[in-house]
Amino acid sequence: MIHLKNIHKSFGRLNVLNGINLTVERGDVVVILGPSGSGKTTLLRCINFLERPNDGEVTIGALTVDCRHPSRKDILELRRKTAMVFQHYNLFKHKTALENVMEGLIVAQKVPKKEARERSLEMLEKVGLSDKCDHYPSQLSGGQQQRVGIARALALNPELILFDEPTSALDPELVGEVLAVIKTIASEGVTMIVVTHEMGFAREVSNHVVFMDGGVIVEQGTPADIFVDPKEERTRQFLKRITPEWSYPMEALR
Amino acid sequence: MGKAFDLSLLGTFLPELLAYLPITLLILAASLFFGLLLGLLLAIPRLYNIPVLTQLVVVYVSFIRGTPVLIQLFLVYYGLPAVLGLVHLDLSRADPLLFVIVTYSLSSAAFLSETIRGAVNSVDLGQTEAAYAVGMTARQAFGRIVLPQALMVAVPNFANKVIGFLKDTSLAFTIGVMDMMGRGQTLISATAHALEVYISLAVIYYLVVIVLERLFAASERKLQQHERKWASA
Ligand SMILES: Nc1ncnc2c1ncn2[C@@H]1O[C@H](COP(=O)(O)OP(=O)(O)O)[C@@H](O)[C@H]1O
Ligand SMILES: [Mg+2]
Repeated sequence: MIHLKNIHKSFGRLNVLNGINLTVERGDVVVILGPSGSGKTTLLRCINFLERPNDGEVTIGALTVDCRHPSRKDILELRRKTAMVFQHYNLFKHKTALENVMEGLIVAQKVPKKEARERSLEMLEKVGLSDKCDHYPSQLSGGQQQRVGIARALALNPELILFDEPTSALDPELVGEVLAVIKTIASEGVTMIVVTHEMGFAREVSNHVVFMDGGVIVEQGTPADIFVDPKEERTRQFLKRITPEWSYPMEALR
Repeated sequence: MGKAFDLSLLGTFLPELLAYLPITLLILAASLFFGLLLGLLLAIPRLYNIPVLTQLVVVYVSFIRGTPVLIQLFLVYYGLPAVLGLVHLDLSRADPLLFVIVTYSLSSAAFLSETIRGAVNSVDLGQTEAAYAVGMTARQAFGRIVLPQALMVAVPNFANKVIGFLKDTSLAFTIGVMDMMGRGQTLISATAHALEVYISLAVIYYLVVIVLERLFAASERKLQQHERKWASA
Protein backbone atom coordinates (compact mmCIF):
# COMPACT_ATOMS: atom_id res chain seq x y z
CA MET A 1 0.00 0.00 0.00
CA ILE A 2 1.10 3.53 -0.75
CA HIS A 3 0.04 6.33 1.51
CA LEU A 4 0.62 10.06 1.26
CA LYS A 5 -0.21 11.99 4.38
CA ASN A 6 -0.57 15.72 4.54
CA ILE A 7 2.06 16.49 1.89
CA HIS A 8 3.06 20.14 1.74
CA LYS A 9 5.44 21.68 -0.74
CA SER A 10 6.31 25.26 -1.48
CA PHE A 11 8.88 26.90 -3.71
CA GLY A 12 9.93 29.99 -1.84
CA ARG A 13 6.68 31.77 -1.06
CA LEU A 14 4.68 29.84 -3.63
CA ASN A 15 2.64 27.10 -1.94
CA VAL A 16 2.27 24.40 -4.55
CA LEU A 17 0.95 21.49 -2.49
CA ASN A 18 -1.29 22.28 0.44
CA GLY A 19 -1.83 19.07 2.36
CA ILE A 20 -2.28 16.14 0.00
CA ASN A 21 -3.68 12.88 1.38
CA LEU A 22 -3.89 9.90 -0.93
CA THR A 23 -4.03 6.14 -0.52
CA VAL A 24 -3.16 3.79 -3.33
CA GLU A 25 -3.79 0.06 -3.01
CA ARG A 26 -1.63 -2.58 -4.62
CA GLY A 27 -2.65 -2.97 -8.26
CA ASP A 28 -4.46 0.36 -8.38
CA VAL A 29 -4.23 2.52 -11.45
CA VAL A 30 -4.71 6.06 -10.21
CA VAL A 31 -5.16 8.87 -12.68
CA ILE A 32 -4.50 12.44 -11.60
CA LEU A 33 -6.31 15.16 -13.50
CA GLY A 34 -6.07 18.88 -13.07
CA PRO A 35 -5.33 22.13 -14.82
CA SER A 36 -1.78 23.15 -15.66
CA GLY A 37 0.04 24.49 -12.61
CA SER A 38 -2.18 22.67 -10.13
CA GLY A 39 0.78 20.75 -8.68
CA LYS A 40 0.44 17.35 -10.36
CA THR A 41 4.06 17.06 -11.42
CA THR A 42 5.25 18.34 -8.08
CA LEU A 43 3.16 15.73 -6.28
CA LEU A 44 4.69 12.89 -8.29
CA ARG A 45 8.17 14.30 -7.71
CA CYS A 46 7.52 14.49 -3.99
CA ILE A 47 6.79 10.77 -3.90
CA ASN A 48 10.30 9.85 -5.06
CA PHE A 49 11.87 12.93 -3.51
CA LEU A 50 13.02 14.55 -6.73
CA GLU A 51 11.43 17.39 -4.82
CA ARG A 52 11.65 17.30 -1.09
CA PRO A 53 8.27 17.96 0.54
CA ASN A 54 8.29 20.49 3.35
CA ASP A 55 5.95 18.47 5.50
CA GLY A 56 4.02 15.23 5.57
CA GLU A 57 4.67 11.53 5.32
CA VAL A 58 5.26 9.17 2.42
CA THR A 59 4.62 5.48 3.02
CA ILE A 60 5.43 2.78 0.50
CA GLY A 61 4.92 -0.74 1.81
CA ALA A 62 6.84 -1.11 5.03
CA LEU A 63 8.78 2.13 4.61
CA THR A 64 7.46 5.37 6.07
CA VAL A 65 9.45 8.55 5.54
CA ASP A 66 8.89 11.66 7.59
CA CYS A 67 9.36 14.43 5.04
CA ARG A 68 10.77 16.81 7.61
CA HIS A 69 13.62 14.49 8.54
CA PRO A 70 14.32 12.15 5.64
CA SER A 71 17.63 10.34 5.84
CA ARG A 72 19.67 9.82 2.71
CA LYS A 73 19.00 6.12 3.07
CA ASP A 74 15.22 6.69 3.27
CA ILE A 75 15.29 8.68 0.07
CA LEU A 76 17.36 6.10 -1.75
CA GLU A 77 15.04 3.36 -0.59
CA LEU A 78 11.92 5.29 -1.69
CA ARG A 79 13.51 5.71 -5.10
CA ARG A 80 14.34 2.04 -5.29
CA LYS A 81 10.75 1.09 -4.52
CA THR A 82 9.43 3.38 -7.26
CA ALA A 83 10.14 4.18 -10.87
CA MET A 84 9.27 7.20 -12.96
CA VAL A 85 8.32 7.76 -16.57
CA PHE A 86 9.06 11.34 -17.55
CA GLN A 87 7.18 13.69 -19.82
CA HIS A 88 10.34 14.23 -21.88
CA TYR A 89 11.48 10.59 -21.55
CA ASN A 90 14.87 11.53 -20.02
CA LEU A 91 16.59 8.50 -21.48
CA PHE A 92 20.33 8.35 -20.84
CA LYS A 93 21.55 9.91 -24.06
CA HIS A 94 24.89 8.14 -24.20
CA LYS A 95 23.43 4.68 -23.73
CA THR A 96 21.56 2.40 -26.11
CA ALA A 97 17.97 1.38 -25.50
CA LEU A 98 19.12 -1.87 -23.92
CA GLU A 99 21.75 -0.14 -21.78
CA ASN A 100 19.14 2.36 -20.64
CA VAL A 101 16.97 -0.44 -19.32
CA MET A 102 19.90 -2.35 -17.79
CA GLU A 103 21.54 0.62 -16.07
CA GLY A 104 19.33 0.83 -12.99
CA LEU A 105 19.36 -2.94 -12.53
CA ILE A 106 23.14 -3.15 -12.65
CA VAL A 107 24.08 0.02 -10.81
CA ALA A 108 21.31 0.52 -8.26
CA GLN A 109 20.05 -3.00 -7.73
CA LYS A 110 23.37 -4.80 -8.26
CA VAL A 111 21.75 -7.45 -10.45
CA PRO A 112 24.41 -9.55 -12.24
CA LYS A 113 24.99 -8.31 -15.76
CA LYS A 114 23.77 -11.41 -17.54
CA GLU A 115 20.55 -11.53 -15.59
CA ALA A 116 20.01 -7.78 -16.05
CA ARG A 117 20.47 -8.19 -19.77
CA GLU A 118 17.95 -11.00 -20.04
CA ARG A 119 15.43 -9.11 -17.99
CA SER A 120 15.94 -5.94 -20.00
CA LEU A 121 15.54 -7.76 -23.31
CA GLU A 122 12.32 -9.19 -21.99
CA MET A 123 11.05 -5.71 -21.06
CA LEU A 124 11.99 -4.27 -24.44
CA GLU A 125 10.11 -7.10 -26.07
CA LYS A 126 7.12 -6.30 -23.93
CA VAL A 127 7.07 -2.71 -25.20
CA GLY A 128 7.60 -3.92 -28.76
CA LEU A 129 11.17 -2.72 -29.26
CA SER A 130 13.18 -5.91 -29.50
CA ASP A 131 14.58 -4.72 -32.80
CA LYS A 132 15.80 -1.38 -31.38
CA CYS A 133 18.00 -2.64 -28.55
CA ASP A 134 21.19 -1.17 -29.97
CA HIS A 135 19.73 2.18 -31.00
CA TYR A 136 20.62 5.36 -29.16
CA PRO A 137 17.73 7.55 -27.97
CA SER A 138 18.36 10.12 -30.71
CA GLN A 139 17.83 7.38 -33.28
CA LEU A 140 14.35 6.62 -31.94
CA SER A 141 11.01 8.36 -32.42
CA GLY A 142 9.40 10.02 -29.42
CA GLY A 143 6.98 7.16 -29.04
CA GLN A 144 9.80 4.62 -29.13
CA GLN A 145 11.83 6.61 -26.62
CA GLN A 146 8.92 6.73 -24.26
CA ARG A 147 8.41 2.99 -24.60
CA VAL A 148 12.06 2.51 -23.67
CA GLY A 149 11.36 4.77 -20.69
CA ILE A 150 8.51 2.48 -19.70
CA ALA A 151 10.68 -0.61 -20.14
CA ARG A 152 13.34 1.03 -17.97
CA ALA A 153 10.77 1.61 -15.24
CA LEU A 154 9.22 -1.85 -15.52
CA ALA A 155 12.57 -3.64 -15.39
CA LEU A 156 13.15 -2.32 -11.88
CA ASN A 157 10.09 -4.26 -10.74
CA PRO A 158 9.01 -1.31 -8.57
CA GLU A 159 6.12 -1.25 -6.15
CA LEU A 160 4.83 1.85 -7.89
CA ILE A 161 5.39 3.52 -11.26
CA LEU A 162 4.87 7.26 -11.56
CA PHE A 163 3.88 8.54 -15.02
CA ASP A 164 4.07 12.29 -15.59
CA GLU A 165 2.09 13.12 -18.72
CA PRO A 166 3.80 10.32 -20.61
CA THR A 167 2.24 11.21 -23.95
CA SER A 168 1.96 14.98 -23.86
CA ALA A 169 5.29 15.59 -25.63
CA LEU A 170 4.41 13.19 -28.45
CA ASP A 171 3.11 13.86 -31.93
CA PRO A 172 -0.55 12.86 -31.97
CA GLU A 173 0.04 9.85 -34.21
CA LEU A 174 2.50 8.40 -31.68
CA VAL A 175 0.28 8.71 -28.61
CA GLY A 176 -1.61 5.50 -29.29
CA GLU A 177 1.38 3.16 -29.20
CA VAL A 178 2.49 4.47 -25.81
CA LEU A 179 -0.98 4.38 -24.28
CA ALA A 180 -1.38 0.83 -25.54
CA VAL A 181 1.77 -0.23 -23.68
CA ILE A 182 0.63 1.47 -20.48
CA LYS A 183 -2.76 -0.21 -20.79
CA THR A 184 -1.11 -3.60 -21.12
CA ILE A 185 1.01 -3.22 -18.01
CA ALA A 186 -1.92 -1.75 -16.10
CA SER A 187 -3.92 -4.86 -16.89
CA GLU A 188 -1.07 -6.95 -15.50
CA GLY A 189 -1.55 -5.47 -12.07
CA VAL A 190 1.32 -2.97 -11.93
CA THR A 191 0.51 -0.26 -9.40
CA MET A 192 0.71 3.16 -10.98
CA ILE A 193 -0.12 6.81 -10.65
CA VAL A 194 -0.61 8.50 -14.01
CA VAL A 195 -0.87 12.21 -14.63
CA THR A 196 -2.56 12.62 -18.00
CA HIS A 197 -4.90 14.71 -20.07
CA GLU A 198 -5.98 11.69 -22.13
CA MET A 199 -9.52 11.39 -20.86
CA GLY A 200 -10.46 8.32 -22.89
CA PHE A 201 -7.44 6.51 -21.56
CA ALA A 202 -8.16 7.68 -18.01
CA ARG A 203 -11.71 6.40 -18.12
CA GLU A 204 -10.74 3.10 -19.62
CA VAL A 205 -7.70 2.19 -17.56
CA SER A 206 -8.00 3.76 -14.13
CA ASN A 207 -9.88 2.49 -11.13
CA HIS A 208 -9.37 5.66 -9.15
CA VAL A 209 -9.44 9.24 -10.37
CA VAL A 210 -8.09 12.25 -8.51
CA PHE A 211 -8.87 15.82 -9.49
CA MET A 212 -6.38 18.41 -8.27
CA ASP A 213 -6.55 22.17 -8.37
CA GLY A 214 -4.56 24.81 -6.54
CA GLY A 215 -2.40 22.29 -4.74
CA VAL A 216 -5.24 20.36 -3.12
CA ILE A 217 -7.26 17.31 -4.07
CA VAL A 218 -10.64 18.76 -4.92
CA GLU A 219 -12.36 15.46 -5.49
CA GLN A 220 -11.51 11.79 -5.91
CA GLY A 221 -13.39 8.60 -6.64
CA THR A 222 -14.06 5.93 -9.23
CA PRO A 223 -13.99 6.96 -12.88
CA ALA A 224 -17.77 6.85 -12.85
CA ASP A 225 -17.90 9.15 -9.81
CA ILE A 226 -15.65 11.72 -11.38
CA PHE A 227 -16.54 11.56 -15.05
CA VAL A 228 -20.24 10.92 -14.82
CA ASP A 229 -21.27 12.49 -11.60
CA PRO A 230 -18.71 15.00 -10.32
CA LYS A 231 -19.74 16.62 -7.05
CA GLU A 232 -17.60 19.71 -7.21
CA GLU A 233 -18.20 22.63 -9.49
CA ARG A 234 -14.48 23.01 -10.19
CA THR A 235 -14.30 19.40 -11.40
CA ARG A 236 -17.26 19.93 -13.69
CA GLN A 237 -15.77 23.09 -15.14
CA PHE A 238 -12.47 21.35 -15.78
CA LEU A 239 -14.04 18.33 -17.45
CA LYS A 240 -16.20 20.52 -19.60
CA ARG A 241 -13.18 22.51 -20.72
CA ILE A 242 -10.95 19.57 -21.45
CA THR A 243 -13.56 17.33 -23.12
CA PRO A 244 -16.45 19.36 -24.45
CA GLU A 245 -18.04 16.14 -25.65
CA TRP A 246 -17.55 14.39 -22.32
CA SER A 247 -21.17 13.71 -21.74
CA TYR A 248 -21.99 11.29 -24.51
CA PRO A 249 -19.46 8.42 -24.24
CA MET A 250 -20.28 8.25 -20.55
CA GLU A 251 -23.24 6.03 -21.21
CA ALA A 252 -20.78 3.17 -21.51
CA LEU A 253 -19.85 3.54 -17.85
CA ARG A 254 -23.35 3.54 -16.44
CA MET B 1 74.40 40.47 -32.20
CA GLY B 2 75.13 36.90 -33.24
CA LYS B 3 77.21 35.63 -36.09
CA ALA B 4 76.28 35.65 -39.79
CA PHE B 5 73.10 33.72 -40.51
CA ASP B 6 73.76 30.12 -41.52
CA LEU B 7 70.76 28.04 -42.53
CA SER B 8 72.73 24.83 -42.61
CA LEU B 9 73.03 24.99 -38.82
CA LEU B 10 69.37 23.96 -38.58
CA GLY B 11 70.53 20.48 -39.55
CA THR B 12 72.58 20.33 -36.35
CA PHE B 13 70.28 22.26 -34.06
CA LEU B 14 67.03 20.46 -34.88
CA PRO B 15 68.19 17.01 -33.68
CA GLU B 16 70.01 18.59 -30.71
CA LEU B 17 66.82 20.27 -29.60
CA LEU B 18 64.52 17.38 -30.47
CA ALA B 19 66.41 15.25 -27.99
CA TYR B 20 64.83 17.43 -25.27
CA LEU B 21 61.29 17.17 -26.59
CA PRO B 22 60.53 14.33 -24.12
CA ILE B 23 61.18 16.73 -21.22
CA THR B 24 58.75 19.23 -22.70
CA LEU B 25 56.16 16.51 -23.19
CA LEU B 26 56.76 15.22 -19.68
CA ILE B 27 56.03 18.66 -18.25
CA LEU B 28 52.88 18.84 -20.34
CA ALA B 29 51.66 15.33 -19.49
CA ALA B 30 52.37 15.58 -15.77
CA SER B 31 50.77 18.98 -15.39
CA LEU B 32 47.73 17.85 -17.41
CA PHE B 33 47.35 14.80 -15.20
CA PHE B 34 47.52 16.73 -11.93
CA GLY B 35 45.70 19.67 -13.47
CA LEU B 36 42.75 17.47 -14.43
CA LEU B 37 42.53 15.91 -10.98
CA LEU B 38 42.76 19.25 -9.23
CA GLY B 39 40.51 20.86 -11.84
CA LEU B 40 37.81 18.31 -11.10
CA LEU B 41 38.12 19.04 -7.39
CA LEU B 42 37.97 22.78 -8.04
CA ALA B 43 34.87 22.36 -10.22
CA ILE B 44 32.89 20.60 -7.50
CA PRO B 45 32.22 23.54 -5.12
CA ARG B 46 30.80 25.63 -7.93
CA LEU B 47 28.76 22.79 -9.40
CA TYR B 48 27.18 22.07 -6.03
CA ASN B 49 27.13 25.68 -4.86
CA ILE B 50 29.05 24.96 -1.69
CA PRO B 51 29.37 28.24 0.23
CA VAL B 52 32.83 29.61 1.11
CA LEU B 53 34.60 27.01 -1.05
CA THR B 54 32.84 28.43 -4.10
CA GLN B 55 34.11 31.93 -3.34
CA LEU B 56 37.63 30.61 -2.73
CA VAL B 57 37.61 28.81 -6.06
CA VAL B 58 36.29 31.87 -7.87
CA VAL B 59 39.11 33.99 -6.46
CA TYR B 60 41.69 31.33 -7.28
CA VAL B 61 40.53 30.94 -10.87
CA SER B 62 40.37 34.67 -11.40
CA PHE B 63 43.89 35.09 -9.97
CA ILE B 64 45.33 32.44 -12.28
CA ARG B 65 43.57 33.90 -15.30
CA GLY B 66 44.66 37.39 -14.37
CA THR B 67 48.38 36.82 -13.89
CA PRO B 68 51.07 35.79 -16.40
CA VAL B 69 52.12 32.20 -16.05
CA LEU B 70 55.74 33.35 -15.94
CA ILE B 71 55.03 35.22 -12.73
CA GLN B 72 53.15 32.23 -11.34
CA LEU B 73 56.25 30.19 -12.07
CA PHE B 74 58.47 32.57 -10.10
CA LEU B 75 55.94 32.75 -7.29
CA VAL B 76 56.07 28.97 -6.96
CA TYR B 77 59.83 28.81 -7.45
CA TYR B 78 60.54 31.30 -4.68
CA GLY B 79 57.37 30.85 -2.66
CA LEU B 80 57.12 27.08 -2.35
CA PRO B 81 60.50 26.64 -0.59
CA ALA B 82 59.62 29.50 1.75
CA VAL B 83 56.27 27.93 2.64
CA LEU B 84 57.64 24.41 2.97
CA GLY B 85 60.57 25.84 4.96
CA LEU B 86 58.03 26.63 7.66
CA VAL B 87 57.49 22.90 8.12
CA HIS B 88 61.23 22.24 7.79
CA LEU B 89 61.11 20.72 4.33
CA ASP B 90 64.23 21.66 2.43
CA LEU B 91 63.70 22.19 -1.30
CA SER B 92 67.08 23.75 -2.03
CA ARG B 93 68.23 20.62 -3.83
CA ALA B 94 64.92 19.94 -5.57
CA ASP B 95 64.90 19.55 -9.35
CA PRO B 96 63.55 22.73 -10.98
CA LEU B 97 61.30 20.41 -12.99
CA LEU B 98 59.30 19.96 -9.78
CA PHE B 99 58.49 23.67 -9.57
CA VAL B 100 57.52 23.75 -13.21
CA ILE B 101 55.16 20.82 -12.88
CA VAL B 102 53.62 22.28 -9.72
CA THR B 103 53.09 25.64 -11.41
CA TYR B 104 51.57 24.27 -14.57
CA SER B 105 49.39 21.86 -12.62
CA LEU B 106 48.05 24.69 -10.46
CA SER B 107 47.57 26.89 -13.48
CA SER B 108 45.99 24.36 -15.81
CA ALA B 109 43.71 23.18 -12.98
CA ALA B 110 42.11 26.62 -12.86
CA PHE B 111 41.43 26.65 -16.60
CA LEU B 112 40.35 23.02 -16.75
CA SER B 113 37.97 23.48 -13.82
CA GLU B 114 36.16 26.07 -15.91
CA THR B 115 36.03 23.69 -18.86
CA ILE B 116 34.71 20.90 -16.66
CA ARG B 117 32.15 23.10 -14.99
CA GLY B 118 30.82 24.35 -18.31
CA ALA B 119 30.61 20.84 -19.70
CA VAL B 120 28.88 19.41 -16.65
CA ASN B 121 26.39 22.28 -16.60
CA SER B 122 25.61 21.62 -20.24
CA VAL B 123 24.23 18.19 -19.33
CA ASP B 124 20.46 18.35 -18.89
CA LEU B 125 19.30 18.10 -15.28
CA GLY B 126 16.75 15.54 -16.48
CA GLN B 127 19.61 13.07 -16.91
CA THR B 128 20.48 13.29 -13.23
CA GLU B 129 16.83 13.05 -12.24
CA ALA B 130 16.35 9.94 -14.34
CA ALA B 131 19.42 8.43 -12.67
CA TYR B 132 18.01 9.24 -9.23
CA ALA B 133 14.64 7.85 -10.23
CA VAL B 134 16.14 4.45 -11.05
CA GLY B 135 17.72 4.44 -7.60
CA MET B 136 21.27 5.65 -8.17
CA THR B 137 23.18 7.53 -5.51
CA ALA B 138 24.44 11.03 -6.28
CA ARG B 139 27.91 9.67 -6.91
CA GLN B 140 26.67 6.95 -9.26
CA ALA B 141 24.53 9.44 -11.16
CA PHE B 142 27.47 11.77 -11.60
CA GLY B 143 30.02 9.14 -12.49
CA ARG B 144 27.91 6.99 -14.79
CA ILE B 145 25.50 9.43 -16.37
CA VAL B 146 26.65 13.04 -16.15
CA LEU B 147 30.44 12.80 -16.40
CA PRO B 148 30.61 10.67 -19.57
CA GLN B 149 28.30 13.10 -21.35
CA ALA B 150 30.21 16.11 -20.03
CA LEU B 151 33.55 14.72 -21.22
CA MET B 152 32.21 14.48 -24.76
CA VAL B 153 31.21 18.12 -24.61
CA ALA B 154 34.57 19.14 -23.15
CA VAL B 155 36.88 17.62 -25.76
CA PRO B 156 37.19 20.51 -28.25
CA ASN B 157 37.73 23.06 -25.51
CA PHE B 158 40.19 20.74 -23.80
CA ALA B 159 42.18 20.37 -27.02
CA ASN B 160 42.61 24.14 -27.30
CA LYS B 161 43.74 24.40 -23.70
CA VAL B 162 46.31 21.63 -24.12
CA ILE B 163 47.90 23.40 -27.07
CA GLY B 164 48.06 26.59 -25.03
CA PHE B 165 49.69 24.72 -22.13
CA LEU B 166 52.27 23.19 -24.46
CA LYS B 167 53.39 26.62 -25.57
CA ASP B 168 53.44 27.84 -21.96
CA THR B 169 56.00 25.16 -21.08
CA SER B 170 58.53 27.13 -23.13
CA LEU B 171 58.95 29.38 -20.07
CA ALA B 172 60.32 26.60 -17.88
CA PHE B 173 63.90 27.39 -18.87
CA THR B 174 63.71 30.63 -16.89
CA ILE B 175 64.20 28.67 -13.66
CA GLY B 176 66.83 26.44 -15.16
CA VAL B 177 64.90 23.48 -16.56
CA MET B 178 66.67 21.70 -19.40
CA ASP B 179 63.80 21.27 -21.81
CA MET B 180 63.93 22.24 -25.48
CA MET B 181 64.05 25.94 -24.66
CA GLY B 182 66.68 25.36 -22.00
CA ARG B 183 68.82 23.45 -24.43
CA GLY B 184 68.26 26.23 -26.95
CA GLN B 185 69.68 28.78 -24.51
CA THR B 186 72.85 26.72 -24.02
CA LEU B 187 73.23 26.34 -27.78
CA ILE B 188 72.97 30.10 -28.17
CA SER B 189 75.60 30.68 -25.51
CA ALA B 190 77.89 28.17 -27.14
CA THR B 191 77.44 29.18 -30.80
CA ALA B 192 76.00 32.71 -30.77
CA HIS B 193 73.62 31.62 -33.56
CA ALA B 194 70.45 32.77 -31.81
CA LEU B 195 68.26 33.14 -34.87
CA GLU B 196 68.99 29.63 -36.13
CA VAL B 197 68.18 28.21 -32.69
CA TYR B 198 64.87 30.08 -32.48
CA ILE B 199 63.92 29.08 -36.01
CA SER B 200 64.60 25.46 -35.08
CA LEU B 201 62.53 25.82 -31.91
CA ALA B 202 59.67 27.46 -33.79
CA VAL B 203 59.67 24.61 -36.30
CA ILE B 204 59.57 21.96 -33.57
CA TYR B 205 56.83 23.60 -31.48
CA TYR B 206 54.80 24.17 -34.60
CA LEU B 207 55.13 20.57 -35.73
CA VAL B 208 54.22 19.26 -32.28
CA VAL B 209 51.15 21.49 -32.22
CA ILE B 210 50.14 20.23 -35.66
CA VAL B 211 50.52 16.63 -34.54
CA LEU B 212 48.48 17.33 -31.39
CA GLU B 213 45.78 19.05 -33.42
CA ARG B 214 45.62 16.08 -35.75
CA LEU B 215 45.34 13.69 -32.82
CA PHE B 216 42.57 15.70 -31.21
CA ALA B 217 40.72 16.09 -34.48
CA ALA B 218 40.89 12.34 -35.01
CA SER B 219 39.65 11.56 -31.53
CA GLU B 220 36.94 14.16 -31.91
CA ARG B 221 35.79 12.56 -35.14
CA LYS B 222 35.73 9.23 -33.41
CA LEU B 223 33.71 10.64 -30.52
CA GLN B 224 31.38 12.37 -32.91
CA GLN B 225 30.65 9.19 -34.80
CA HIS B 226 29.50 7.82 -31.52
CA GLU B 227 27.98 11.09 -30.47
CA ARG B 228 26.00 11.61 -33.63
CA LYS B 229 24.12 8.58 -32.53
CA TRP B 230 23.27 9.91 -29.12
CA ALA B 231 23.41 13.67 -29.47
CA SER B 232 20.04 15.18 -28.73
CA ALA B 233 18.10 15.08 -31.94
N1 LIG C 1 11.35 23.99 -9.24
C1 LIG C 1 10.37 24.91 -9.14
N2 LIG C 1 10.66 26.15 -8.68
C2 LIG C 1 9.69 27.09 -8.56
N3 LIG C 1 8.41 26.88 -8.87
C3 LIG C 1 8.05 25.68 -9.34
C4 LIG C 1 9.02 24.63 -9.51
N4 LIG C 1 8.38 23.53 -9.99
C5 LIG C 1 7.10 23.88 -10.12
N5 LIG C 1 6.89 25.17 -9.74
C6 LIG C 1 5.60 25.85 -9.72
O1 LIG C 1 4.70 25.04 -9.02
C7 LIG C 1 3.41 25.11 -9.60
C8 LIG C 1 2.92 23.71 -9.88
O2 LIG C 1 3.72 23.16 -10.89
P1 LIG C 1 3.54 21.67 -11.43
O3 LIG C 1 3.60 20.74 -10.27
O4 LIG C 1 4.51 21.49 -12.51
O5 LIG C 1 2.07 21.71 -11.99
P2 LIG C 1 1.37 20.75 -13.05
O6 LIG C 1 2.23 19.55 -13.26
O7 LIG C 1 0.06 20.40 -12.43
O8 LIG C 1 1.18 21.55 -14.29
C9 LIG C 1 3.53 25.99 -10.81
O9 LIG C 1 3.09 27.27 -10.46
C10 LIG C 1 5.00 25.99 -11.10
O10 LIG C 1 5.38 27.19 -11.70
MG1 LIG D 1 3.12 18.83 -15.03
